[in-house]
Amino acid sequence: MGLLDLFKGKFVDPTWAGVHAGGDIITTRLDAVVRWGRKSSIWPMPFGTACCAIEFMAFTGSHYDVARFGSEVLRFSPRQADLMFVAGTIPDKLAPILKTIYDQMPEPKWVLSMGVCACSGGFYRSYHVMQGIDEIIPVDVYVPGCPPSPEGLLAGIMKIQEKIQRSQQAKAPQGQHRLGVPGDGAIDRRARRGFWSKDDAEREQKGLPPRGVLALRVLPDEPESGSHHG
Amino acid sequence: MASTLEAPAAPSGATSPAVRVLGERLGQQMRGATEFRGDLAISVERSAWVEAARTLRDHPELDFKLFLDLCGVDYLDKDERLDRFEVVLHAYSVSKKHHVRLKTTLPENDPTLDTLCGVYKGANWFEREAWDLYGLVFQRHPNLTRILTHDDFVGHPMRKDYPTAKRHVLRKPKEWLLKVPESSERMIVNIGPSHPAMHGTFRIQALMDGETIRDAEAEIGYMHRNFEKMAEARTYWQIIPYTDRLNYCSSFMNGHGWALAVEKLLGVPAPPRAEAIRVILSEFSRIIDHFVAVSTNVVDLGAITPFFVVFRAREEVYELLEACCGARLTVSYVRIGGLAQDVPDDFEARCRRVMASIRDVTAQAEVLLTRNPIFANRFRDIGVLSAEDALDYGWVGPCLRGSGVAYDIRKDHPYSGYEQYDFDVPIGTVGDCYDRYLVRIEEIYQSLRIIEQALAKLPKGPVITDDKRVALPPKSEVYSNIEALMNHFKLVYEGILPPRGEVYGYTEGANGELGYYIVSDGQKTPWRLKVRPPCFNIYQAYPEMIKGGLLADAVAIIGGLNVVAGELDR
Repeated sequence: MGLLDLFKGKFVDPTWAGVHAGGDIITTRLDAVVRWGRKSSIWPMPFGTACCAIEFMAFTGSHYDVARFGSEVLRFSPRQADLMFVAGTIPDKLAPILKTIYDQMPEPKWVLSMGVCACSGGFYRSYHVMQGIDEIIPVDVYVPGCPPSPEGLLAGIMKIQEKIQRSQQAKAPQGQHRLGVPGDGAIDRRARRGFWSKDDAEREQKGLPPRGVLALRVLPDEPESGSHHG
Repeated sequence: MASTLEAPAAPSGATSPAVRVLGERLGQQMRGATEFRGDLAISVERSAWVEAARTLRDHPELDFKLFLDLCGVDYLDKDERLDRFEVVLHAYSVSKKHHVRLKTTLPENDPTLDTLCGVYKGANWFEREAWDLYGLVFQRHPNLTRILTHDDFVGHPMRKDYPTAKRHVLRKPKEWLLKVPESSERMIVNIGPSHPAMHGTFRIQALMDGETIRDAEAEIGYMHRNFEKMAEARTYWQIIPYTDRLNYCSSFMNGHGWALAVEKLLGVPAPPRAEAIRVILSEFSRIIDHFVAVSTNVVDLGAITPFFVVFRAREEVYELLEACCGARLTVSYVRIGGLAQDVPDDFEARCRRVMASIRDVTAQAEVLLTRNPIFANRFRDIGVLSAEDALDYGWVGPCLRGSGVAYDIRKDHPYSGYEQYDFDVPIGTVGDCYDRYLVRIEEIYQSLRIIEQALAKLPKGPVITDDKRVALPPKSEVYSNIEALMNHFKLVYEGILPPRGEVYGYTEGANGELGYYIVSDGQKTPWRLKVRPPCFNIYQAYPEMIKGGLLADAVAIIGGLNVVAGELDR
């Protein structure tokens, strides 16, 4: 697949791009090209702490082969990375370190929270476990599961690619207000439920699906020539 | 004196040599001995604590050289107890093949006890843990500081009056674990907790003199997620998923060990087919655990090819587990008294395919590594630990065998029918990283032998016990007759109700003896559950091992120890 085909209608919104002179010249916006390049060569930094890190290894291994998404260049230095995988439980003792590592990443940066422990504390409702990393850092994509299957993680990275393409980034820690609340969930579970139902209603008015429903964009099929059906 | 939690003394306990020797040595200071489910427990006065431990260790007839575990127990408001806390020591004798549990009690207003650091090197971190979690003070301990929780933590969380979920936020991590000596040119290098060589979340600081490590200090607790505290509020079934996440490189084996420990407490064995399947899947888990240990170890040294090679077979083992129970990594496949469900019809064929693939990739990895001079030079004579030190620290599993001690629970105390299978226990001669590597590789082949034999005589029959106090009745009966429905309801509602008593269940995990010390007060949740994590003892020796070596060797050593954060910090 040539570069031209990539641009034609598939990866870039066709309203931006024009194809001229019989397909030899592409005109598009510079930032669209930059984003396209950025999303196709993510350098992830794995902040692997627990069980999810093992599944993350399977995700980068030969079978699931994340190289197909251009994200195989794992960087263990945050200064060289633009996507952080937080894979595993983050206890309170580790929280300031996670924050430091996040701060060391250069902009623009994205965070994928892998597994329920990173998303919400998981089934560790206890005295030493952070109830979701969004208490201290902004999270772009949550991938639940204990651990999530590698397929789920691939879907997560495609979501990140979509966000990069649209230039979206989570800016503030979503759960800042509940930093340090007891881990049993008794205090904020009801508040959280209220928040989500309000949010769902607002989105429904706008004609949007509820958040959390996996809405990956399905790429349009190649125009059928009809011959291969024969 | 006798507490309601303890089982009445059985006559067999009195005949044990440990009881006789301690009785002669301590006289009135020995309070008594009990035996429950074959576990010998001896209570002593707190003034005789160190003396008793030293006698157990040094007396030629007892020879309890292998330190296993030390933990606190809180008996808050437990009826008829005079003292609130109890300290429990577990030890084992490799030569005499017997276990012992030594106990003493501490009052709430004065929870102090003399340290055992002078008796067992391994006691150091365990006593720090007991201080951290229970607030027990060990006098003359060299460094009695918090180990699992963070510095801003207030209180001792495992005490029964500490709420399970009360958190404390840490604003600033501890910056220095070591001090540079005055007027010295030495430098401190910090590695971890977020560092690729640290395999998770360990932290080590080394005082460097050029390239040589002069002093080192480790910090752990970055993965302390409170398994033991939460287990006190979970039923025996509900604990199964938590055990999966202890050593997540070989999840199945943790559940296997847990089921055996509870079955020991209940006195309910699993049917033979379940035991055989447990053995097969445990051995597969051991193999993939060794794959991770070996391959990530060499990734740290710059060789990434073996990782890709062995992970191919690892993936196939995952697929096998997925076919059996629906999950890849965290399987939750065992149940108390058996397994969740039977294996698929093509189980045997699948196993054989996976075995062929394991043989293939192990041979390939061996070609890449075993006689590779670069690899051998990085590993030979690095991180040597003598057999005496290994026992003193409480090393077990491949690391202990690498140091030349032929102790394998599968051989010495067979469980789940390991006595039927013919296999060898490889041991090292030097005790260096290379020996530990060779032991792991050989164990992969031995595990394949066990699987082969277990498959050949895989018995037919049910996979879970029909004991109605333990196992849920089959769904078809629940829907068709009232007794089964009531039985189901009562079991779900009331849980498994074990007898009162204490057991120590132990199995050969992939990186050593995985023990569960269960204190049951007859309720549906354990009163106290202490995991005896192999990694805790192993990692404790690590700072000592790297002193005097090069920094690059420290990286080679840690991978070969195969320390897993989930189990280390629980």
